[in-house]
Amino acid sequence: MRAALLLLLILTLALGADVRVDPDAQFVADFDARVADYMKLHKSAESHFPMHPTDSPSAIAKEQLAFAAEIRTARANAKQGDLFTPPIAAEFRRLISIAMQGPRAARVRKSLKSAEPVTIPLDVNQAYPSSVPLQSTPASLLLNLPHLPKGLDYRIVGRRLVLRDVNANLIIDIIPDALPLS
Amino acid sequence: MKSLASFALLLWSALPTYPQAIDLKLPLQDKSVRFAVIGDSGTGLDPQYDVAKLMARYHQKFPFDFVIMLGDNIYGGHSASDLKKKFEDPYQPLLQAGVKFYASLGNHDDPATEMSYKPFNMNGKRYYDFRSGNAHFFALDSDYMDPDQLTWLQQNLSADDSSWKLVFFHHPLYDDAKFHGADPDLRSELEPIFIKAGVNVVLSGHEHVYERIKPQHGIYYFVLGNSGQLRAHDLNPSDQMAKGFDTDRDFMLVEIAGDQLYFQTISRTGETVDSDVLKKQSKTAP
Repeated sequence: MRAALLLLLILTLALGADVRVDPDAQFVADFDARVADYMKLHKSAESHFPMHPTDSPSAIAKEQLAFAAEIRTARANAKQGDLFTPPIAAEFRRLISIAMQGPRAARVRKSLKSAEPVTIPLDVNQAYPSSVPLQSTPASLLLNLPHLPKGLDYRIVGRRLVLRDVNANLIIDIIPDALPLS
Repeated sequence: MKSLASFALLLWSALPTYPQAIDLKLPLQDKSVRFAVIGDSGTGLDPQYDVAKLMARYHQKFPFDFVIMLGDNIYGGHSASDLKKKFEDPYQPLLQAGVKFYASLGNHDDPATEMSYKPFNMNGKRYYDFRSGNAHFFALDSDYMDPDQLTWLQQNLSADDSSWKLVFFHHPLYDDAKFHGADPDLRSELEPIFIKAGVNVVLSGHEHVYERIKPQHGIYYFVLGNSGQLRAHDLNPSDQMAKGFDTDRDFMLVEIAGDQLYFQTISRTGETVDSDVLKKQSKTAP
């Protein structure tokens, strides 16, 4: 009987160890869930304004504006940190700092410089300004960040990481000081 | 009166001198693949129109089927009037002649607008491929080289070993321009894929100059980012440069016939600044 109880205790402890959650994976899973929620809204707007290829730039602009307006209205109370919550933002900063360690740091910084960096004000639920170059995102940084569904992208603007809706050209969320100081 | 004459002379000397005759150096072989290349073109300013007019003149002698665009196709705004002024008007004679344009995205482009703009033949995609004769073209989005795009590229490049493989995108992996310089991070991700898959030719823009690089790991590299823009005297030649041109705008004509790729780079004033024939490399192990 005593042996059976001991075995039960060991099994319980072992199982308990198995179900512990990796905190990094937890943050990424939380981020993925928030992105999935956003994508429901994106897909709903997309079904109303599908952005089919056309010869008419006016038609494209009209669809894009309507598409963005629908999302903006639905997220009227959106604020910085809705998707990049403080723990998720901290995890992103950690992932970015890993991608920028050692010899890769110089490569990534050179790539960012090549993107013609700009200093611009950015706000959640506002358009990325069309008058400035769209900032490129270094390939090796993208390899280290959580995967995004088609229709969203990450952009590095100054030291900020921006989550952007491509077709709506809308800023979904921002992490300030995402990049380590050079 | 004397100052007026001096002013007139100054104006005259500033005007570009256009060639009376077309100096075509391409062989015009039967069933060859013929196309033109432009990069950083979409300014809507006179030099872009000058290049476009010359392209139309060359098209009469060398009827190319399509034009590949190396990014920064439309600078600034992307309204209907912008696209008219910066694309439809300058290339109207070519568009009317049925020449197709295949765009890749640069950092000044608006992806949502240009992907949906039918004359750019992107079909709603940031990156895509198409074939012409014995050539397979891959248009990439080097502004956003995410893992999905890298996987797509690996799968599609390796699916075909018989054709010429030409990859075009905005940011160069090699160049000798002072303003930006090559992107080593992008190179670290793309070059191993190119080598493994046996890519033959890589064409990029971004630097507002023309440069042909000596083959790197057996791959031919071109930079052509001065079909509208120009950053004069920006080249700082190094050992890797085969040919450079940084004092005016230009475009390139290409003809692929069997295992030979003929090219001719022509300045806004009609000067041939570079031409040669390249032999298709045999695929070697990395």
